Amino acid sequence: MRPSVATTLKPRSLQRRGRSQRRWYGLLFGGLLIWALLTAGIGVDDLINERGWPLTARFLRASLHPDLSAPFLLLALESTLTTLAYAVCGSVVSLGLGLVGGLLASEVWWQTWAGAAAPRWRIRGPLVAIRTLIAVPRAIHEIIWGLLLINIIGLDPLVAVLALGLPFGAVTAKVFADILDETPRDSLDALRNSGVPPLKALVYSLYPQALPDLISYTFYRFECAIRAVTVLGLIGAGGLGYQILLSLQSLRYEQMWTFLLALILLSGLIDVWGTFVRRQYDLANRIDLNTAQLSGCQPRRPRRPASSRLMRGSILGVAGLIPWAFWYIDADWSKLVSPRTWRLLSGVARDAWPPLIDAPFLGQLGRSMSQTLAMSILAMSFAGAVGLLLSFGAARNLVLPGGVLDSTVQRGRGWWRWLIYGSSRGVLLLCRAISEPIWALLVLFVVFPGILPGALGLGIYNLGIVGRLMAEVAENTDPRPLQALQAQGVARPQIFLYGVLPTTLPKSAAYVLYRWEVCIRATVVVGLVGAGGLGRLLTEQLSSLDYHRVTTTLLAFIALTLAVDAVSSAARRSLR
Amino acid sequence: MRVYFRALSILIVLGSMLAACGAATPAAETKAATPLIISAIPDQDPEKLNRLYPQVAAYLSAELGIPVEYKPVTDYTAAVTAFKVGDLDLVWYGGLTGVQARLQVPGAQAIVQRDIDATFHSIFITNSASGIASIADLKGKTFTFGSETSTSGRLMPQYFLGQEGIQLSDFKGEAGFSGSHDKTIGLVESGTYDAGAVNEQVWKKTLADGKVDQSKVVAFYTTPAYYDYHWVLNPGAVDRYGADFTQKVQQAFFKLDPAKSADKEILDLFGATKFIATTNENYTQIETIGRAIGKITP
Repeated sequence: MRPSVATTLKPRSLQRRGRSQRRWYGLLFGGLLIWALLTAGIGVDDLINERGWPLTARFLRASLHPDLSAPFLLLALESTLTTLAYAVCGSVVSLGLGLVGGLLASEVWWQTWAGAAAPRWRIRGPLVAIRTLIAVPRAIHEIIWGLLLINIIGLDPLVAVLALGLPFGAVTAKVFADILDETPRDSLDALRNSGVPPLKALVYSLYPQALPDLISYTFYRFECAIRAVTVLGLIGAGGLGYQILLSLQSLRYEQMWTFLLALILLSGLIDVWGTFVRRQYDLANRIDLNTAQLSGCQPRRPRRPASSRLMRGSILGVAGLIPWAFWYIDADWSKLVSPRTWRLLSGVARDAWPPLIDAPFLGQLGRSMSQTLAMSILAMSFAGAVGLLLSFGAARNLVLPGGVLDSTVQRGRGWWRWLIYGSSRGVLLLCRAISEPIWALLVLFVVFPGILPGALGLGIYNLGIVGRLMAEVAENTDPRPLQALQAQGVARPQIFLYGVLPTTLPKSAAYVLYRWEVCIRATVVVGLVGAGGLGRLLTEQLSSLDYHRVTTTLLAFIALTLAVDAVSSAARRSLR
Repeated sequence: MRVYFRALSILIVLGSMLAACGAATPAAETKAATPLIISAIPDQDPEKLNRLYPQVAAYLSAELGIPVEYKPVTDYTAAVTAFKVGDLDLVWYGGLTGVQARLQVPGAQAIVQRDIDATFHSIFITNSASGIASIADLKGKTFTFGSETSTSGRLMPQYFLGQEGIQLSDFKGEAGFSGSHDKTIGLVESGTYDAGAVNEQVWKKTLADGKVDQSKVVAFYTTPAYYDYHWVLNPGAVDRYGADFTQKVQQAFFKLDPAKSADKEILDLFGATKFIATTNENYTQIETIGRAIGKITP
């Protein structure tokens, strides 16, 4: 899967254009960062609240003696199972939606359907319509979906399953569509030419080829689902997120640590499992999936799984987990089609349409949008910078004994390298296991309320995600240039500066840019804890049952997300 | 390998179908019994709520002779929304959430409240290091409310602040929303916020339990009295259980007797000595203020 050196070289003119574009994006980023820092009041207001340190110390001390009494451990176990079950159900729903939506959102489907001779609009028309349609559920955060769905479904576990399944389904559909479009079409053409109907031809030609990438992506989604459920817990899905918030609200830190440890354990196990499955099948990694540089385009290295027993176990595990999760959640699926649901849905539509716009509200909306934007820029800059730093420690091919940055000559002296590796991985796992609003609430101990604690909350969480993916980037870099430098006796710092950094930086930056769009959506959840921006506005409106304004705010949110998406993908293109 | 993938996808589909069938049956059974569903806004320590409300449900079930079930709700807005869609029959609301819920459901009635709710107060507390001694001193300081739709932690404090000439823009930074009264006390004690507004009952209880360091947090202002918490009954329940159901529920609450130990436990958890009747009209002041502040929209 490593790109060969020859393929990464581009014609000189293209290189030059990319470089000048990159310079522009660099300047734009610098300007935006300064603006965001000023908006957050850095250098203007005092931001650190020294009186909060004792509370922080109490919180940290509590980590040394989490509540491990038997009844409490039982509660922690039950909450962990709830979180797991919701994540599984949500993932299954999103997978179903993604498989159908991905087909409908793919260019290849409409081309196959319309036939080769069809006019361009017959393909582009429905394609653009569906791509726009699936952009909407993506822009709205799970927690907002949850609060809206209660209006239609009432109090039922189904709310949380759908709140997770709908936006995740839309994301999955988009990625699946890209995967299908990137899959080689020779076999499809062959089937179509021999008269096989479009749907059948696609299912039998593209899906089998794309399946490994689809599975790889589904695993990533599942890992995200675990984290998303902990946020949904805040609005009543229960599980670990809910328990963590409760113990934080009632200032019982010893109990909170028990739940945090359970969450870190669950999250870590699933991460390890996912990585294992991907390694076994040599599946595409996340960044390649998102930037559509898929393994399907390159010949796959045939590789026999090293331990097929573990793989078989995995498959059986998944097959058992899914029915168990649906049984455990016990959602009332009949509510999907009950007349009451439809009556309530039309009621909500009446309440929410038309969106309300008046002059003072527009001013407020503008201010909130700029706060949200500033918050996301600060968060991602922080996540990118710290994540990059930690990612090198967490990459096994760099620091570990035998890695390119290993200078120890004697064997057996590299224990501290394992320490760096382990602690980097541990910090990254900790950062991403705890959800954004909880981080924001913790940061609020010592930072005065405003944009900054929100940005830090988002930043810490995202650094866990970005850092891990950056480590993956580092591990997947072409080792040959580095080995060449090493063989010529170049000093370690220079290998790092001239070998590791230039080869990993563009991809890492691309991933931060990709993540920026996700971060914009997530500003909603820190708005819930009072960090300002559109999220703050939205919760105020939701709690006032002011649905006309909620619609306006959501539209503003969708517009902002799409704009960020456009800027980020343009910037990413310049990085390729 | 491909065989495994195929087997896996078949199992996924079969499994989900089985699970869906399995899930549908028990839900249908509970509907036949139509229990009375009670709930409450999550205004304080949820552990306490989980101890209190199952007891209330058992008590009401014995008194009314019908099955009664407690459904916990973790979010103020969700408690109002679930009442609107008809999933909750009898809910313990705060002043503002009660009005919000009743406006969503024509025919809903405020029926019972505690003795203390007719003259309820909010307490303003401050960190002793902040140098705040009166409402006027709040200018330029940080301040936190409780939950956004809390009557005693947000609505009435914001109203009385306005009466005293303090606007939200006078605070340093944005006014916070801690989410609960306990959290407000904790954040003021730690100094994260200079001051905050809390429910009088929760404050007194925290003081009595010695759960707060009084050298760090002091109360400096008590608001005038207003109507707060009350039980709101959904007209759907009256349709199900008969026209005199409202009176029956009221009587059941009036009968709670501090002399009986089981009853006393419920009353203690509510922080009350007895329950009294209330009506929708008692909350016109709350509704007016709610509209002025924008928490109630047409």
